[in-house]
Amino acid sequence: MSASTAPFKQRYRRSVSDPELKPRLLAFQRSWRESRDAQVRSLEQRTERSFDELRREFAAVKDSTLERIDDYIAEFRANAEAAGATVVQLSTAEEAVNYIAAVCKSRGIDLVVKSKSMVSEEIELNYELEQRGITAIETDLGEWLLQLAEERPSHLVMPAIHQKRQYVAEILGEELGREFDPDDIPAMVASARDGLRRHYLSAGAGLTGANALIAETGSIVVVTNEGNMRLATSLPDVHFVTAGIEKLIPSWSDAERQLQLLPRSATAQTLSTYTTCITGAQPGKEMHVILLDNGRRAMRDSDVIGDALRCIRCGACANVCPPYQIVGGHTFGHIYTGAIGLVNTTFHHGIEDAAGPQGLCVSCGACQTVCPVDIPLPKQILEIRHRSHESGHAPLWEQIALRLWARPRLFHHLMGVAAAGSGLARLVGLVRGDHLRAPLPKRLRWRAIPALPLRSGRTLIKSRAPQSTLSDSPAAGQTVDLFAQCLADRLMPSAVDSAARLIEAGGAAVNVPESQHCCGLPAFDAGDWDMARRMAEHTIEALEDGEREIVTPAPSCVISMQDHWPRLFADDGEWRARAAGVSDRVHDLADWLEGPGRLPDACLRNGDGTSWTAHRFCQASNRNDAGARIDKLVERLTGETARPLAEPDVCCGFGGLTSLAAPEVGAGILERKLACVAESGCDTLITNNPGCVIHLRAGANAGGANHKTLHYADFLAARLPKDP
Amino acid sequence: MTTTTNRTALFAEGLRAAQGEFVQCRSWDDVWQYAESLSDETPVVAPAAYVHLQRGESPDEEDPLRSIADRSVGITIATCGIAETGSVLLIEPAPIDRAVSLLTRHLIVALAEPDIVDELTDGFRWLAQQPRAAAYATFVTGPSRTADIERSLTIGVQGPSRLTVAVLP
Repeated sequence: MSASTAPFKQRYRRSVSDPELKPRLLAFQRSWRESRDAQVRSLEQRTERSFDELRREFAAVKDSTLERIDDYIAEFRANAEAAGATVVQLSTAEEAVNYIAAVCKSRGIDLVVKSKSMVSEEIELNYELEQRGITAIETDLGEWLLQLAEERPSHLVMPAIHQKRQYVAEILGEELGREFDPDDIPAMVASARDGLRRHYLSAGAGLTGANALIAETGSIVVVTNEGNMRLATSLPDVHFVTAGIEKLIPSWSDAERQLQLLPRSATAQTLSTYTTCITGAQPGKEMHVILLDNGRRAMRDSDVIGDALRCIRCGACANVCPPYQIVGGHTFGHIYTGAIGLVNTTFHHGIEDAAGPQGLCVSCGACQTVCPVDIPLPKQILEIRHRSHESGHAPLWEQIALRLWARPRLFHHLMGVAAAGSGLARLVGLVRGDHLRAPLPKRLRWRAIPALPLRSGRTLIKSRAPQSTLSDSPAAGQTVDLFAQCLADRLMPSAVDSAARLIEAGGAAVNVPESQHCCGLPAFDAGDWDMARRMAEHTIEALEDGEREIVTPAPSCVISMQDHWPRLFADDGEWRARAAGVSDRVHDLADWLEGPGRLPDACLRNGDGTSWTAHRFCQASNRNDAGARIDKLVERLTGETARPLAEPDVCCGFGGLTSLAAPEVGAGILERKLACVAESGCDTLITNNPGCVIHLRAGANAGGANHKTLHYADFLAARLPKDP
Repeated sequence: MTTTTNRTALFAEGLRAAQGEFVQCRSWDDVWQYAESLSDETPVVAPAAYVHLQRGESPDEEDPLRSIADRSVGITIATCGIAETGSVLLIEPAPIDRAVSLLTRHLIVALAEPDIVDELTDGFRWLAQQPRAAAYATFVTGPSRTADIERSLTIGVQGPSRLTVAVLP
């Protein structure tokens, strides 16, 4: 295997041009989800604890171990050495490779058989040993196939998941000198037993990773399924263990906690086939445990990122990641893949290797919901994106777009021009539905360009009489500030007006602060925090005049104000307080309509028989925000039941800038979503975040879908009594 | 989950879910007859099981792994079974102890019914108290497997492709 890897753009092009990758990974993600959920449910029943409780308990074990890592290393070392092992702590990949090579040289070993070890991938051990005249052979079937194909793992647990069976037949045929039928997978699997046996018999050393290192006895624990690890540690006379220092845990009872979570999260097994515990060197043999730092202490001490060291390498974060499903791990990650790879690559391999895939993450937050150690991956990815932006990795188009976006007056002028242009297009018949019939480059043809309505949402509100009150809500008589959201105000103004009418129907008056623009979310997402801060300051100034509650039809802005603003103003007490003064008063419209502005049950029942279903804005849903359950709100207010929708919380593919930076990713995820919508058989798809509405509507328009796409405010407001 | 019968039933269920096979035997003679019925080859027997069986072929002391590689049927003995998962705990400090469970095609693991414990916790507690047992200990849950080629689950890779637990009174 070569030490170099293709540049990100090349990897991206290659993966989006493989027609079989997407469907294979989709089938994998869906079947994993189903069996993993069943495993987690039965674990919860048996232990009478929730997944959240179980994962937080084990995360606390990992955290406290990492805080006193040197004590635990010392304890592990004393116990392992008492049992005849040699334990070395090494700082860099190079030191680790040199150590292994030196031991091999001094024992005359030129062949090493390897069981699966991600640390050995991290340090590119096979390549480095080869440079030093030592051959390393992978014995895990998937890893062996990668080695034969000179590839890297594309998944932490299923390393060769990207390879199709025809390709496997080809590379095995080449290695073993006989033909394989691609449809006879058992025969190909069986060939590993025969093909690898001679290597076990002649190897001087076996190398394994470790899933856990137990300080109290100096033991290692390794979980495997094939049986190769036990062979690699039984036949050769020397056993190398390569492990990151974060694999230490204090005791056997902690190992058991880890084993409750690891196989269930990794392969959806109750327990892997082999859970092997080894303590020290076997009689007459040597054991060398290499404890590698390679950026881990820096990671531990790094703001926001430290928790990523809890990782037990289960791969669950990739298994629920919508962009991973589209591009696979060779593109979504570096050597470590999936969400965790977007984070830890920075520390093990450098920001250069981490920067490329950052823009693929759609910030849906699904990764954290299944992480068995509750790593705040979405927050960490935004942090790495920020660092990547700071080190000069932002694309030029993105910087220009954000500069335009950040200037409210210029933005409004540009939008005004676009609206006038759309009006003209309408006149000459270039608009179909709400979208332009303009030719797009092939890469972008999956979506249509929305035609901008002439009037903004704010203008619509001002140009009509107040909506009559339907029923007095607790907020009746109050005046509420409406934060329109920059995109919605121009691209879907009716939803902004509808939001205002729903608030008014509860008896409150609506005020639209004039100078409002953008909360800063697009810039924050892009890692440009200086720009984000300027935009946030502008919004704070626009909204801080008064004590009124603030309502927005855009849950993404609520998240931006509540989660991101504190990070933007972390070092500025005055602005932090001003930001909190605004964000403490902000409500998502759905929360408002259930809470202070509550409308009565079934008040919007109109019995028109429209069948509808709801896509829930993923980010809010994955944070467990009550307001994300818009299907429940709409069911309550209309008295009608939603059609069931598969994967209602999976991202729609908008992902802020992702659908612009990586159009194939936006398109691929959208395709998955629209297939679910079509399957629901609904007439109307409702959703809650303006970005999702725009994306889903443009995709449905381009694909000729039969359903209508609406913000739920429009869906509900259409049922309000018409005022005279 | 207190009675032995319950525990055994649960163990059998976990084992079958992991594609393992479960047989109830009355004596070591039963285990031997079962093993012999599987193949024309003489079963190979791990040292810990030989103590009870006093028959069958033993791995070669000099080169235990090579001597029994790919033999059809092997018999070994488990220290305990875990009802929760259908796993057996094999304590195999030396290569000669491990040879049978590593390299035979169809592995039979003898397990005394009273040694079935409720949960993995109990297995770990046992291990933690016997530091020498943890020199090389393996919880085995079903036959070896892989899903590395197109996620297609294939039973039997480099370890045994069939695993039977023979439960003794």
